[in-house]
Amino acid sequence: MLRWMLRGLGRGRVTTRYPERPEVAPDGFQGRVAVLDPAGGQPELAALCPTGAIAVDGGGRVRLDRGRCILCGECVRAAPERFGFESRYETAARSRAALVVPQQRGDEPPRMALGQAAAALKRSVHVRHIDCGSDGCEEWEIQALWNPYYDIQRLGFFLTASPRHADVLLATGGVTAPMRAPLERTWQVMPEPKALVAVGTDACSGGLAGEGGPVAGGVDRVLPVDVYVPGSPPSPIAIMHGLLLAVGLLGERRPAA
Amino acid sequence: MSDSTSTVRRIEDGLPDHLGAVPEAGPAAEVRLRVTTLGFERAAHVLRAAGARFITLLLSDTPEPSLVGAFALRGALVALRAPLAGVEPVTYGALSQTWPAARWAEQELVERFGVRPVGFATAGPLTSPDADRIERHLQGLDGFTIPYGPVRSGVFEAIQFQIETGGETVPAVQTRPFFKHRGLERRFAGLPSDRAVHVAERVAGTATVAYASAFSQAVERALGVAPTPSAERWRAVYAELERMAAHLDVIAKEAETSALHVGQARFQILKEQVTRLRARLTGSRFARGVIVPGGVRFEGRLGLEDLLRGLDALERELVRDRRLFLATASMTDRLIGSGRLPRELVEEYAAVGPVARGSGVSTDARHERPYGDYRRLGLQVVTHREGDAMARVNVRFGELLESLRILRQSVDHLRRNEHELATPLPPGASGAAFGWAEAPQGELVIWVEVREGLVHRVHIASPSLRNWALFHHAFPRDVLTDFAFIEHSFGLTPAGADR
Repeated sequence: MLRWMLRGLGRGRVTTRYPERPEVAPDGFQGRVAVLDPAGGQPELAALCPTGAIAVDGGGRVRLDRGRCILCGECVRAAPERFGFESRYETAARSRAALVVPQQRGDEPPRMALGQAAAALKRSVHVRHIDCGSDGCEEWEIQALWNPYYDIQRLGFFLTASPRHADVLLATGGVTAPMRAPLERTWQVMPEPKALVAVGTDACSGGLAGEGGPVAGGVDRVLPVDVYVPGSPPSPIAIMHGLLLAVGLLGERRPAA
Repeated sequence: MSDSTSTVRRIEDGLPDHLGAVPEAGPAAEVRLRVTTLGFERAAHVLRAAGARFITLLLSDTPEPSLVGAFALRGALVALRAPLAGVEPVTYGALSQTWPAARWAEQELVERFGVRPVGFATAGPLTSPDADRIERHLQGLDGFTIPYGPVRSGVFEAIQFQIETGGETVPAVQTRPFFKHRGLERRFAGLPSDRAVHVAERVAGTATVAYASAFSQAVERALGVAPTPSAERWRAVYAELERMAAHLDVIAKEAETSALHVGQARFQILKEQVTRLRARLTGSRFARGVIVPGGVRFEGRLGLEDLLRGLDALERELVRDRRLFLATASMTDRLIGSGRLPRELVEEYAAVGPVARGSGVSTDARHERPYGDYRRLGLQVVTHREGDAMARVNVRFGELLESLRILRQSVDHLRRNEHELATPLPPGASGAAFGWAEAPQGELVIWVEVREGLVHRVHIASPSLRNWALFHHAFPRDVLTDFAFIEHSFGLTPAGADR
């Protein structure tokens, strides 16, 4: 054991200081897609996207729904003057509408149940996870939050085995038929106040599997979602960002267009 | 090419006359034999007697509606095809009557496609699981059934194990996959192959590269296209990094289960380093969006020298952490002798990957049917004979070092001045073929039919589903607290199994 301890100490500190200090993604990191030029789009642009994340309205205004975007890059390759990858980690938002960029006025106000009660939690937030039908990546990225690089325990987030002890539920994947009842039951037995975080594009909208087939769609088809963390998969910092938003420890920034 | 032609001839010559099969043309390393549905079962058993390993059963539409059985035999993939014209309902002699490996593949045909194999013993539903259906099989046992999952403790994918126990020993375990069935095989249909690869990448995210490579390889073989050499090298680089991440994940989870916190942290650090290397190379922590039928979309974005420096750093740390791990008795005591799988059982169930290699079965798609850059890379298949959780972990330790060796060879090959990214696919072409890759979980085989440039039908034989078929045999002398150690030592992913 002593040898393990020395081994652990020998490595020094690797832990991020996020959110006190920003965590910068490496160059070329495909964190999210931005609409570089929203004006004068042809309707054909919508067909570039395999998940229907791109919409062009009658006035030729292009909007991208990050809740549907699986970061496949088809639009970036076909229309680089209009779409581009952004090298940044934070993707979370408190409402589904806030994931549609560029933003428009009149988007629905976020639900703040847990955020308002967060003061009472005193930085001791217990997190439970449920897999509703993910591809398995999101689980790895959530697990990573407790590794030495991210160490989310330093911010007062603890993983709990029982939903009855949980304040936040992280749901991954679009909801498959056999997982619907377990999802509802897990949420039901969690004590108030509680927050539901949809982790990953699949959990936000069903992703590539779509809606209405073997996958019902995003988690919000079944339960009200407090925070959406799109990404395929979202990075650990993105999930951390989502958790901090869920408990009101971060103010929501205006999402950049 | 001549190599695989001679393999094909050797197999055709070596098969007894009573197989009653007609050879058909197929791509390299694929032996196609046509039989009737009546002769299907017998032909399969002749193949089995000749040493074939069962891979999967599927329904195909190319060149005509057919039942296809896939088997691995002496460096080739043998596809046994029985045309179905006039056979309604689809029926043939069930293979699973005597061959446990075929059990779940056959049950999937029954439940999802209405096939009626003669002699198939019906059982509880496989593909439409119900979390609340609790079963007890053992009579007279003074015990209970623990439904473990689909909501697990900790952050794990959804799967259910029904564990029958009196409290200590584990006399019976039932594995219930398919909670995550997303209908992805159907999702491929109608997409051009360069878009369909996005679906392949999202079948099992922790094996993104393996799925993208196997799918791309199937399309390339179906259309008679060879990917560029530099693309094959990059694919091997990403595949070995993916293997390292998955193996480190298994070892970190074993350390976590035995409450070896520093060990857990150490292996998580290594895994994160591999993940970050992938992110710097490809822009994606899982190397998504790079591989495409015909080649790759772009070259690695990290300089080769930087990549080598990253590998050197990994190796230095890995060697020391491994030595410490293996010298920690509180860790190894939980693994040695746990979850022992005899070699015969592994062969009967046609298990693959580290599960098979930990029981002395030297099966590895990179070696058996070398593909891509593995035809040029020296590869040592790591096996251990003990068949316990320790052996499966030791296989992974050996493969981590082997992956580093392969990566250095690939980097060396990449120094050559070839930068052609992809071979264009012939527009509007048609064809059908198997593609494969050795995923971290074991051999992955994908059947792809392309019609006029669009993907028509896809069937996935995932290593996870095939290995889970024998999971319930892994508790011969173990107690309940060994369960997590044994489960992690399998290192499988429900996403791949359920599709």
